[in-house]
Amino acid sequence: MQKDWIYVGLTSLFELFWIFGFNVASTWWHWIIIVSLIALDFHFLSKACENLPTGTVYAIFAGIGTIGTTLMDIFIFDGEFNAIKAIFMFILVLGVIGLKLADNSPTDKDTKKGAEA
Amino acid sequence: MGWLLVLLASIAEIVGVVGLRFYSQKKTVRDFLLYVGGFGLSFALLYASFNYLQLSIAYVVWIGIGTVGAVVVNIIFFGESKNFTRIISIIAIIIGVAGLKAVA
Repeated sequence: MQKDWIYVGLTSLFELFWIFGFNVASTWWHWIIIVSLIALDFHFLSKACENLPTGTVYAIFAGIGTIGTTLMDIFIFDGEFNAIKAIFMFILVLGVIGLKLADNSPTDKDTKKGAEA
Repeated sequence: MGWLLVLLASIAEIVGVVGLRFYSQKKTVRDFLLYVGGFGLSFALLYASFNYLQLSIAYVVWIGIGTVGAVVVNIIFFGESKNFTRIISIIAIIIGVAGLKAVA
């Protein structure tokens, strides 16, 4: 179970790398790096779905990508930070944590065992 | 035209998610094409829609329909858990993503 969440972490991390790449790429070899990062990212994304529910993984993937781009805008590209952004970010983080907890809940494990049996 | 492109991009995204699910269970060429092709087409259509719509609006609708669609399709067709924490958490993520994209 822990290994699967490491894949979720890796896919989210590599997603941030290539999104950053999109913002700063200026020559052809930058795009080669970006395409490689995307390929690696999609590899980890599919690994994460091997044992975790696809809906969960995809929601987290989309959520962390969004938090990451928002933070990048603020800290790297001089975007503005305000209370509204902070509130949405907070709700989003709660959602990600909730999904992680839901995956560990007993009911989920039971259904999983049932499906495998 | 812009909205049609966003809608098609969202559908392609859901196809990509279904491909992702198949491919992660069984590594076949068909599932790989569904996975990568679905997402590739989705990004291309979304990018094309930016010619007609404001980027942040197109993005919100695309990610909203795509994520909700991904979860709903997985619950209905692949028997994923409907437990309360899970549904509330996914709704929170969608609200957070849509909100952040809308005010970006």
